[in-house]
Amino acid sequence: MKSIKYKYILITSLIIAFFFNFNGFSQELDASNYKMRLSLSTFKQNDNSRMLEVSFIGQNKEDRKDKLPVFDAEIKFYNEDNLLGTAKTSKEGIAQFTIPEGQNYITDEDGFINLIAKFEGSDGLDEEDDDIQIKDLFLELNLKEIDSVKTVLVRAFTKDSTGVETPLEGVNVIISIGGMLSKMKLEEVIIEDGEFEYVFPTDLPGDVNGEIIVYSTIQDNDDFGNVVKNESVNWGVFKNNNLIEHNQLWSEAGPLWMYIVLTILLLGVWANYLYTVIYLFKIKKEGKEIDREQVELNTEL
Amino acid sequence: MNLENRKRELAIEFSPLLEKTTTVSKIWIATLVLIILVGLYAFIVQFTQGQIVTGMRDNAVWGIYTVNFIFFVCLSYSGAFISGILHFIHTPWKNSVSRMVEIITVLSLIIGPIYIILCMARLDRLLYLFMYPRIQSPITWDIIAVMTDLIGCFIYLFLTFIPDFAILRDNSENAPKWRQKMYKYFAIGYQDTPKQRIKLHKITRTMSAMIIAMAIIAYSVLAWVFSLTLQPGWDSSIFGPYFIVAGLYTGIAVIIIVMYLIRKYYHLESYIRKVHFSGAGIILLVLSLLYGYFTFSEYFTRWFSHKLYDTNLLNTLFTRYFWMFVFANYIGVLVPIVILFFNKLRNIKSITFAAVIAIVGLWFNRYLIVIPTLETPYIPIQDTREEFIHYTATWVEWSLSLAGVAAFILFFILLMKLVPIIPMSGIIDHERGQAKRKKSIK
Amino acid sequence: MENKKTDKGGSNRRNFLKLGFMSSVSAVAGASLLSNFSIQDEEVVESGEKLRLLTPDGKIVEVDATNVNKYPEAHITPEESRKGIPNRKFVMVIDLAKCKNARKCVEGCQKGHNLDYNEEFMKIQLLQDNPESSPYWLPKPCFHCDEPPCVTVCPTGATFKRDDGIVLIDSERCIGCKFCVTSCPYSARIFNWGAKAKFDDKSQPYSPETSLPASKGTVMKCDFCPDLLRQGKLPYCASSCPMGVIYFGDKNEDIVTNGTETVSFSKLIRERGGYRHLEHLGTKPNVYYLPAVNRQFPLDRGFDVAPDIIDRYKDVPYVQDLKNLGKI
Repeated sequence: MKSIKYKYILITSLIIAFFFNFNGFSQELDASNYKMRLSLSTFKQNDNSRMLEVSFIGQNKEDRKDKLPVFDAEIKFYNEDNLLGTAKTSKEGIAQFTIPEGQNYITDEDGFINLIAKFEGSDGLDEEDDDIQIKDLFLELNLKEIDSVKTVLVRAFTKDSTGVETPLEGVNVIISIGGMLSKMKLEEVIIEDGEFEYVFPTDLPGDVNGEIIVYSTIQDNDDFGNVVKNESVNWGVFKNNNLIEHNQLWSEAGPLWMYIVLTILLLGVWANYLYTVIYLFKIKKEGKEIDREQVELNTEL
Repeated sequence: MNLENRKRELAIEFSPLLEKTTTVSKIWIATLVLIILVGLYAFIVQFTQGQIVTGMRDNAVWGIYTVNFIFFVCLSYSGAFISGILHFIHTPWKNSVSRMVEIITVLSLIIGPIYIILCMARLDRLLYLFMYPRIQSPITWDIIAVMTDLIGCFIYLFLTFIPDFAILRDNSENAPKWRQKMYKYFAIGYQDTPKQRIKLHKITRTMSAMIIAMAIIAYSVLAWVFSLTLQPGWDSSIFGPYFIVAGLYTGIAVIIIVMYLIRKYYHLESYIRKVHFSGAGIILLVLSLLYGYFTFSEYFTRWFSHKLYDTNLLNTLFTRYFWMFVFANYIGVLVPIVILFFNKLRNIKSITFAAVIAIVGLWFNRYLIVIPTLETPYIPIQDTREEFIHYTATWVEWSLSLAGVAAFILFFILLMKLVPIIPMSGIIDHERGQAKRKKSIK
Repeated sequence: MENKKTDKGGSNRRNFLKLGFMSSVSAVAGASLLSNFSIQDEEVVESGEKLRLLTPDGKIVEVDATNVNKYPEAHITPEESRKGIPNRKFVMVIDLAKCKNARKCVEGCQKGHNLDYNEEFMKIQLLQDNPESSPYWLPKPCFHCDEPPCVTVCPTGATFKRDDGIVLIDSERCIGCKFCVTSCPYSARIFNWGAKAKFDDKSQPYSPETSLPASKGTVMKCDFCPDLLRQGKLPYCASSCPMGVIYFGDKNEDIVTNGTETVSFSKLIRERGGYRHLEHLGTKPNVYYLPAVNRQFPLDRGFDVAPDIIDRYKDVPYVQDLKNLGKI
């Protein structure tokens, strides 16, 4: 009886393990555990072109930190129903598409451009899309020295269909300078009346020639997306901290006095050795002569 | 005294030592070769597998290889300094020991650098030391100094061999042919004419002065490898003189031991007499006092000013290394002093015993200089692996250490078969000097 | 008689079928169990070079990441690596007020330089300046000193200081004398004692700027990741830190960044009381520390790590107290 019980337990446990297994397998192969997220953002760049960026990533429903980017998926970019172009996602799940400056956008009655990014869908993934509505913002950056005070002048405005400029109100603009690895924020302002004046600090070094790139940026604005304008100006006061030292203990060539002392010591010692060796040869020569004399004497005798 | 006859007498007296090998001697040589072979095997293990087979790890990166290197260069002080000084002081008994002292020097200068080479992990790149040397590095100075010292001592040794080879060349008709050829070649035509004798003495004298200078420079440079760093325990201004005094101390101790062994096993009691041991014993006493003084200054200064990092180091010394510290710095210094201080206690056996204690104590002292500092750096070692926190030598390192000692003894024995250990020419010079004095008294 | 036979035959058949069923189930279960274990093995293995991606068809695949650090096309040879990136002077600032011993910097660096578990270019020490103050976590890379004792003592010039302030090691010239390891007062260097399989990795040519591949019997240490700097990226430690503890930048342009914040270097040091470790030794390090004041996390948060790592700090009195109280 007992053996039969054990047998049944064994069978049941094996079957359960078997099933758990299938779960393990299925977890590996398809994306049913992941919720797909497609998000679109827009960047108006310094040359007035507009870059549309899509991030297409699957997020694990249970473990929100587990993100799977979709690779090589074709994303279509539309302005209303007008197909602007397509791009494929990279290994990080990012697809970028740049629209050059002169593009005529279809706007709605408030002047907003409707931009849509769409993933057509496939066997394993559903159709996804995202859209944003933005207004085209014009940002002007001027770096001028007014009364020998270095000033940054920023103007922001929108244009309506007839080309009339409307200055901007209540938008955050960040003024920053470019560094080797990142941009350093100098000031964040809220633009009133479409204009802003900022006194540039005088203690910034800039690069080796004193050049500084100044950026004015609008970030993640609901109405305007991202807009950036930058300008290079020679307002830096460069101070070279690289004191290139020569002939130090830690440089390639050592201190001069070390070479001198070593040479003197070595010359002294090796000269002595040489002297010794020369004298040894002299002794040898003398010995040979004596030998020769001996032989001569013997032969004479 | 008839010079030629005397020479022949001496040659006949010393030839058996050179030409015959007793069974005991043969057994000795076989054992030493065996130990060396084990060492060779350990070397191959280290060369193929890397230094992971040693006990050295990321904090104690220098182990007993470095300790042995310093120790053997310490031994080299015996010849370099003492024989050099003996050459200038005309003591009657200096002759018997001068050759064995010089041989110790040369051998330890050959074996010592082998250890420091073993400490380098990339033996296939040793040439870079000569292709891309940096003059600011104490290791570069070390290489130059030790090499120059070795060549100088070697030349000096050879200079002292020449007159003996000449005597042997002229008086060994019964010796095997290869020996006769060897004597003739190495004697470089020295006929002991007055002119040649003057020349030889001149260059020997300059070389002996040079050796003293080289020895001081070489060992100072070695001391500076440690004391020019920032580490607690090494960052000391007296390391140069301290190492030199320790070298002298070791030198005289090893001379005593070698004298004892040779006197006993080669039955040279007539040449190595009690006066040698007494003289050496007195020098050992003086040096042990000096050495004790330096050691005491070093540790007392550190203890008294109780700087944080010095205190950490001293804690390590007094806890983990307590017995080693006591042996090295108390027993190793005080026992020789006590034995040598009292006339009654001074006999050949006890003086040798004192010398043995001194040498072993000195090896431990070198160990305590190198390794505890590496185990107590400025930023505390925060690690879990025991071998990274404390250094323990492995069988590879021990067998190579023993192999080095065995090689030392082996080469010594072999050299003794080449040249008589008591310089015959020295005996003759000494007797000639005595005869001259007698004449002048008359 | 016949009944008995058929009965027996029937029971025999039943037994046979039962046996067959059981054996097939167990065989399949066993096989799938085995393969489950092997898959688990794969998951456990460090897959630093594999990316998990979704294809457009919704299938999950693993691909090899291209070259781990995407080294620029112009390979910097050991000769060229002796000259630095022009007109830069690299400096690092570590904010001890924010460090909570997350050890992501250690792990990021190990991944980027293909180091084993116990090989650490960036070490986290638990230091206590005096008995009254609180212990603090100190991330310690190589300080790339301006007057480096390690460079002075190298007999072959295998370690050198460049114009941009970085001290590098050319492990093709290193003879393994370990003099530099003994002379660094900050214990920044580690040594490759034995041979390892990763030394034979020929996938990229050796450059001192990547410190890859390492070789047996040579020394290695934090290199400030010049290969990443040339690509305009932060070193691995700075970009891995979740708290933004490590700031890195160029002293010449006076800007340091931790990935999210970019600040003026001189202002940061002046206002937060930045100091250098063991300044009195005169090595002039290029890593500055901001004191552990107004700490963002209590010290105890830092003990949320593996037991063997906590064991490293067993000599710190605070840790011993915690152990006695049974808290860790």
